[in-house]
Amino acid sequence: MICRYMQGMMVTLLLTGLAHADYRLETVTEGLEHPWSLAFLPDGRMLVTERPGRLRLVEADGRLREEPLSGVPEVFAEAQAGLFEVMLAPDFDDSGLLYLSYAYGDLSANNTCLGRARFNGEGLSGGEVLFCASPAKRGAAHYGGRMALLPDETLVLTLGDGFDYREEAQNAANHLGSLVRLTLDGQVPDDNPFLGDDTARPELYSIGHRNVQGIVFDAERDELLINEHGPRGGDELNRIQPGANYGWPLTTHGVDYTGARITPFRELPAFTPPLLHWTPSIAPSGMALYRGAAFPDWQGDLFVSALAGQQVRRLVREEGRVVEQQVLFEELEARIRDVRVGPDGYLYLLTDHAEGALVRVVPAS
Amino acid sequence: MMARWRARLLGFVLALLVATLSGSLIQTQFNLAALAALGAEISLATRLSTSFHDLLGFAPLYAGLMAAALSASLPLAALGRRWLPLPAGLVYAAAAALGVWLAFMVVDAMAPMPTLIAATRSLTGTLAMLAGAALGGLVYARCVGRRS
Repeated sequence: MICRYMQGMMVTLLLTGLAHADYRLETVTEGLEHPWSLAFLPDGRMLVTERPGRLRLVEADGRLREEPLSGVPEVFAEAQAGLFEVMLAPDFDDSGLLYLSYAYGDLSANNTCLGRARFNGEGLSGGEVLFCASPAKRGAAHYGGRMALLPDETLVLTLGDGFDYREEAQNAANHLGSLVRLTLDGQVPDDNPFLGDDTARPELYSIGHRNVQGIVFDAERDELLINEHGPRGGDELNRIQPGANYGWPLTTHGVDYTGARITPFRELPAFTPPLLHWTPSIAPSGMALYRGAAFPDWQGDLFVSALAGQQVRRLVREEGRVVEQQVLFEELEARIRDVRVGPDGYLYLLTDHAEGALVRVVPAS
Repeated sequence: MMARWRARLLGFVLALLVATLSGSLIQTQFNLAALAALGAEISLATRLSTSFHDLLGFAPLYAGLMAAALSASLPLAALGRRWLPLPAGLVYAAAAALGVWLAFMVVDAMAPMPTLIAATRSLTGTLAMLAGAALGGLVYARCVGRRS
């Protein structure tokens, strides 16, 4: 207990004691409506999703193409629901394929879906639905919607518990509050961890999550990391083990928005505890792993964008533990939906507003 | 006249207290029951400490909601009794429950999440919470007696 307290104190000291890196913020483009995700095209252009259901093209010089791209699937856009992530296929250079995650349905019956389409430089064509989380649920909250590619040519899609269905995150017979792993064609890989269990959905990769908003695969450390929203407090950074249960809602460091206890248990032996929790909440959103030349001091660090926290947290890791945190970009005074590392080694941020912006972080000199 | 207003004020305070405390205790038991259904072992000590924690953490917010609901529903019930020849206890209990039910619907419509109070996600949980509010209405009726 004392050890944990000391650990917390040290992190706090590091939070306040670290000097800001030598960086400059540049606005690349503005006028994006609740931008959610960003993908870098090989020709220097960028694709940005807007939550209401549009896919926008940002030219290499930062100009935002006025017309949204055609061919985007119909999405259910309401509150937290809408178009989520855009991710290029590993063979995008040859195939032009990209993946989109989005909410589909209506207010009374909806959930997260994964689609794939071909980008021809001007729009999308040949769209197909690869996966839809089941069952459809009521309300417009907690969808997950982030994706990551694994080195074995599979992808992991994050999902949410639908808010009102939190207990279902413990039920392996559905997809609520889980991560799913699929082949690039949307099939179930033959080594998925729940595959032999007749009572479980074969797509499941891990369960017991609340609302997973960030995901990164660290190839160097062979780690899949996610962040997820807690309720009031209890936002988490988790290292994913195939088949593991992360405990929600039986364990959390947070309480409900009303102040009520969701559970009396912070940790239980049956569940994998978080690497780190943020209490009070920062509402983590995107997550990126820094590998680049522009900021040598940030090599291998994690960057977690935050909505309520209006910042980006830089997480320094040693031997699988987070040993330092640095608060960055508070001067933007904006909810930050996503953080990415560009091919140029700069960080890119999306601000979550009706008039949202794409911001680039470059070295000051 | 003064005695009547004193009785109303005392009745309101006691009704608020009963509705708030019973609602807090009820929602705790529903949340723990959901965890027990998932296989969690909830000892008596855990149940008591969680209930106590919620009286500190949840009850203040719930008291605000109850105050808003009861301050509208109980006077309306008093007015309604002029035309409704029903027992005071029945009218005030029903009015308190109806007022709190409307309050649940309003906060759920206004709050960003689908359902603010987890225990009210189910019909059983909602009815149990409304029973707590109705108990508050009965206490009010007892305080104001036949005069209001």
